[in-house]
Amino acid sequence: MKVEGWFGTLELSPEGAVLASVLYSKDPRELTERSFTLSETKSFLPPPGFDLRKASLEYGIFESGAEYDSLLHELTLRKAKLQVSKALSVDQRIIQAVEALDDINETTNSLSERLFEWYGNHFPETGLTGEPLASFVAKYGNRANVSPFDPLYEKAKVSIGAELPEADEALIKAFAESLCSLYARRKQLEIYIEKSLDTRAPNLTLLAGPMLGARLLSLAGGLSQLARFPSSTIQVIGANKALFKHLRARAPSPKHGIIFSHPLINTAPWWLRGKIARALAAKLSLAARVDLYSGEKRPELLEKLEAKVGRIKALYPTPPLKKSGIKAEKSRSSEKRKGPGKGNGKAKGKSWGQEKAKNKSCREGKFSSDTKPATNSMKGRGC
Amino acid sequence: MLFLEGIEYRIWDPRRSKLGAMVLKKFEVPLRKDSRVLYLGAATGTTVSHVSDIVSEGAVYAVEFSARSMRNLLGLADRRKNIHPILADAGRPERYAHLVGAVDVIFQDVAQPNQAEIAAKNAARFLKKEGFLLLSLKARSIDTTASPKQVFKNEVKKLEEAFEPKFEILKARELAPFHEDHLGLIAKIRVSENEKI
Repeated sequence: MKVEGWFGTLELSPEGAVLASVLYSKDPRELTERSFTLSETKSFLPPPGFDLRKASLEYGIFESGAEYDSLLHELTLRKAKLQVSKALSVDQRIIQAVEALDDINETTNSLSERLFEWYGNHFPETGLTGEPLASFVAKYGNRANVSPFDPLYEKAKVSIGAELPEADEALIKAFAESLCSLYARRKQLEIYIEKSLDTRAPNLTLLAGPMLGARLLSLAGGLSQLARFPSSTIQVIGANKALFKHLRARAPSPKHGIIFSHPLINTAPWWLRGKIARALAAKLSLAARVDLYSGEKRPELLEKLEAKVGRIKALYPTPPLKKSGIKAEKSRSSEKRKGPGKGNGKAKGKSWGQEKAKNKSCREGKFSSDTKPATNSMKGRGC
Repeated sequence: MLFLEGIEYRIWDPRRSKLGAMVLKKFEVPLRKDSRVLYLGAATGTTVSHVSDIVSEGAVYAVEFSARSMRNLLGLADRRKNIHPILADAGRPERYAHLVGAVDVIFQDVAQPNQAEIAAKNAARFLKKEGFLLLSLKARSIDTTASPKQVFKNEVKKLEEAFEPKFEILKARELAPFHEDHLGLIAKIRVSENEKI
């Protein structure tokens, strides 16, 4: 029987004694390369319980256990280092960029609020917030410096704000400058994400738009994971809190997760959102799969989605009636919905739980799924 | 690090380490100075470092699937010569079979829905007949909706019946209050009746 070990090939007798061996050189670099090949081959695996170390020592391949261990240590360390350095995929880069963008959004929000309050003491009449305010302050500082050609010149002259001492001005100006540079970084990140997502997942970008597409990819942990999700999962990604509440207690199921930010859903009237979310999620999962497995652009996906949404809108032009009307509606559709829907409730919940667990382990370092939305800028959207 | 009466001690936090919690829960941890341990789910290596301290003349094969965690583990493996880091999926032991060989102890702490199956697959390939399996089962990664007690019951049954090899559970206790909804297990490969005779 032939057995492949990391140090070479052994020929074993049926009782497990070593009869002959063909050894590789003891050069760690060469051994590492062999180990990569051996990981891929499924033949000549050591039989269950076979002690490679003991056998190789008894046969005299290594002088001592220490030699075996130190060479193996060098091999595994080298191999793991190579694997780690190769591990960064395009998806990972996009995910980092998306998360950096979320961080920047959070930071710019709180910093611009601070600037608004701070500069408001000195010049409350600007009527500016966010990026325009930051660039205004960075440009002029004290309201006395506002140029006569600026539309705010008149207001600056008659402002009721307090004086701004020089030391404060320097501080607040520098603060505004940092804020401006954060806004610039944000733009840069957005451009990067749009570009790289369009190359990586053209159909997803077409259907979802670059930012939503990138967020979906980021929450799934990569395109290959996203493509493996059923569309019902894609529909509620990002609504973890609501979903688990639904699975554990009697809360209503969430209709949409982060796909709520898609204009088709958030501009739709409330009684259509669930239906449109389902249609959109179905097409998004198709898009992700096409992107992963073929990569060619399929504009007809978008056409079909739009046609479907059009049909939904035509079919339900008015909101469903309340109370008595709802009862009638329920009994009408009960055969349709209750049969498969209710019966599968439990099993469906279970598979989702497993799905999440898998997903989580891929997105290492995150906390358990139900605490996750706290770190998610999209929290609450799905409820 | 602590120094007490000239002896150096390392702090071992049971809240961060399943094995540490097992020790406090009065498990008889079967690690000796020269044990060879297959550690599945090594993560960043907190517990691995303690195991590596204990098995000073043995070795730890530290299997971890996430490249991000492996990055931290590598720093540890660089310093400690008895840790052999392996970046691989613990559910596919054939990919590292040529490296590991036979081991005395398998310690497993992976957050996967098929934890029991992974343990059985690895035990079948690597665990010596008289070796031990130390297992930390996480109820939440198996079923988020069912009660943990029920999940544990099912998983123990799976370990005893469903796979090859079948296990004999020597001890099972929940790891609360250190880890919520985790069950610590110590098991041996069950010797079938006809083999005994």
